[in-house]
Amino acid sequence: MVNPLILIHAICAELGLFAFLWVLVEMLNPTETRIARAQVAALTGFAFLFFAWLVGGFYYVEVYGLHIKPLINASDAKWVHSIIMEVKEHVFLFLPILATLVLALLYKYDTDLTDNRDASVSIVLLSGLIFLLGFSIAGMGAIISSGYRFALMAGLT
Amino acid sequence: MNSKALTRAAAVTVALIAVATIGCELSATFKQLISLIGGHHWIGKSVLSVVFFGLLYLVFSKLFDDRFVLRDTLLLIATVMVSGLAILAFYIWHA
Repeated sequence: MVNPLILIHAICAELGLFAFLWVLVEMLNPTETRIARAQVAALTGFAFLFFAWLVGGFYYVEVYGLHIKPLINASDAKWVHSIIMEVKEHVFLFLPILATLVLALLYKYDTDLTDNRDASVSIVLLSGLIFLLGFSIAGMGAIISSGYRFALMAGLT
Repeated sequence: MNSKALTRAAAVTVALIAVATIGCELSATFKQLISLIGGHHWIGKSVLSVVFFGLLYLVFSKLFDDRFVLRDTLLLIATVMVSGLAILAFYIWHA
């Protein structure tokens, strides 16, 4: 059975990423109403990513490390842990920092974002980066799940 | 809030995460030291990333004015890409 923690981690992370895509769309042509919606989206996205960080971290240390990692490492798909998981768990740490920055810029410049092109373009670029980086990480998560299934199908327990 | 300081603190923190990640694989002693925070090297890196982000912001806000320019963001994006690729390349080499 799939551990519910991994589902909660994945769902929260993806909701967080879509919230930053929402920020990007709102900030393409900022008005006072769109900036207000972008602030709500960024705050929601930040909260979801932060929760995904906590849940994913707990799952990684308490479940993955003890039960999943040994099976993957004993299989022919050892690279799934030694490359994919190692990259995923460390690159993920960039996301909360980037999300904090986007949130801070949105609240600092607020309605000035209609005129401050450097700040509004920065928010668009950083939100796009969060979305792309996050979904690359989600793809890595899918590969890790496949690696675990591969190990189970090989008869490893 | 000083936007330039926060953006630069983010860039340096991202680079430090990459350095700590690679450093932990190259030195068992360093990994053990990081693991002392929270009992696991990943928790240690997570906590340190938050602490360094905050401390670097405090230091940089004393050093830089608040004239935020797009170049600061582009520098951060470049740092994220180089750091991510460095981690990927390292683990491909190390596997």
